[in-house]
Amino acid sequence: MFYLPNIVLVVVLALLGIGIYCILISRNLIKIVVGLQIAVKGAFLALVLAGKLASQIDVGQSIALTVIVADTIVAVVALALAVQIRRKFGTLDVHALMSLRR
Amino acid sequence: MDAGRALLLLLLIPFAASPVIYLTGRLSVLRQGTGLWLARWFTLIVYLGMGLPLYTLGRYVLELGPVDLKIGRIVLQMDGLGLFLAVTVWLLSTLVTIFSFPYIRGEEDEEKYYALLPALSATMIGLGCTRDLFNLWVWFEAMAITSYLLVAFYHHQKGALEATVKYLVQSAVGSIMILHGISLVFARTMTLDLQEIPPLMADSGLFGLAAGALFVVGFGVKIALAPLHTWLPDAHSRAPSGISAMLSGVVIESGLVALLRALGTLSQASPAWGALLLGFGAINILIGNLMALRQEEVKRMLAYSSVAQVGYMLLGFGVAMSYGIADGAEGGFYHLFNHALMKGLAFLAVGAFLYALYITKGSHAPLMVSDLDGASKKYPLTAFALSIALLALGGLPPLAGFVSKWQIFVAGAEVRSTPLLWLIIFAGLNSVLSLGYYAPLINRMYRNQPSEVVQAGQPIAVLISLPLLILTLAIVAIGFFPGWMVPLNASAASSLLMAFGFR
Repeated sequence: MFYLPNIVLVVVLALLGIGIYCILISRNLIKIVVGLQIAVKGAFLALVLAGKLASQIDVGQSIALTVIVADTIVAVVALALAVQIRRKFGTLDVHALMSLRR
Repeated sequence: MDAGRALLLLLLIPFAASPVIYLTGRLSVLRQGTGLWLARWFTLIVYLGMGLPLYTLGRYVLELGPVDLKIGRIVLQMDGLGLFLAVTVWLLSTLVTIFSFPYIRGEEDEEKYYALLPALSATMIGLGCTRDLFNLWVWFEAMAITSYLLVAFYHHQKGALEATVKYLVQSAVGSIMILHGISLVFARTMTLDLQEIPPLMADSGLFGLAAGALFVVGFGVKIALAPLHTWLPDAHSRAPSGISAMLSGVVIESGLVALLRALGTLSQASPAWGALLLGFGAINILIGNLMALRQEEVKRMLAYSSVAQVGYMLLGFGVAMSYGIADGAEGGFYHLFNHALMKGLAFLAVGAFLYALYITKGSHAPLMVSDLDGASKKYPLTAFALSIALLALGGLPPLAGFVSKWQIFVAGAEVRSTPLLWLIIFAGLNSVLSLGYYAPLINRMYRNQPSEVVQAGQPIAVLISLPLLILTLAIVAIGFFPGWMVPLNASAASSLLMAFGFR
């Protein structure tokens, strides 16, 4: 029960759940980006865990590093968007972003 | 030229050119000079330069088989499927580049547009020739990031920012799902090689099903599988028209190729993937058509029609994956190629109208359906090109769209299963339904009196008309000589069937 992979698995699922929940309930764009980041942290852990279970921890770690790079770029783009949105709309509330409907 | 080197060049040229284009453009902007033409024409030269390695690779792959390229521990392999995607991407993006010369001229950050365009094409070509599950994700994510930036190109407009936020958040959650799927597969099989995984995933029970579900949801966001399509109409209608054509014509299709590759690894985990795609195909066709019927904005209507057209491709691939019918895979790929031409032409023609009616006057207003009243009187060539594109999308006989839809329907009928036959009839009737929104547009252009917007319109630049002309000719020619595309489709179809264990 309390052996390491099980604990890591629980943490992975918890991080994924917290991240998705955060994305779903937040109205602030920055908080949504934070939610995305939390969910991605779960994915890093999952990849390292998979590497451990496959007894190729080096591959798992190098994959996780690559994901960190890609994910940082996504976060940068998202935050740059947030800056633009704050300038144009005067708010970060995503409920204000509702002009394109139907 | 050596085939491995040709593959290296095909990927290296656009990636190396991208920063050069940016620097050239940026320097001329900083000096307030007129050096931007250099960046523009250099982009076109880059695309033309990619033509030679692509031709070499094409000859090699079609005659001798897959080409391998080893870079460190990463192995890239261009097989029929990768070649097919590369040809489609190269063709459409070259034409989009020419189209963009007048269309984007004078916009702020023009040089970034030309720098990102080759990068977007290169990521899609790379996505087609990967042999490693994680590598597939890397290309996919690179493609997604480049396309976020291009969708947000008009970053002074609220609509574009809003569309990009929707696209980015949904797509980013999707890629997290894919990562979890990859972890499951890796933990179970201890390898990431696409060709070694399938036998190791046999009898994996819940592991395989969960990984497959994660892949379908993750890649499904990019493909716009029906409940996950909500970002698509916003992003496609707010991007610059050239980028709308790229997104609709090749980006969502690259997502589809990525999904096929990923599901190929799970082909022995469950036999149900094909049926799943058939189900999503039917939902996509219906929802895309019904939503397109009520759109007032031309680009949004075309975007919803992309949702429907993806449904037809899914039908073809679904038939191939469940029953191993080669016609299904060939028809699916044929429709993928034709859709790139047809939707590319439709978006570019709408872009030409936008250029003539709004952009030359400094406005970025969307093109409404009523703006097209009587457009054929003033812009006969563009109106004709748009009509050809719409009729081909609707699947009228002598045009390209008919040929590929017909092949998909025939493949479905070959199986001789009653439920599948009903599905095909449903898809055929939906094709008629789709004329319900294509035909009124053509009617407006040819039979109504010119609207005020059209009467005040500016002339259309020659470089905008050139890609329209080429694409129109291509659609008509493929309709009359469908055999031209068969070698390319057949080799792509055989790599797909091989991945699913039918050859």
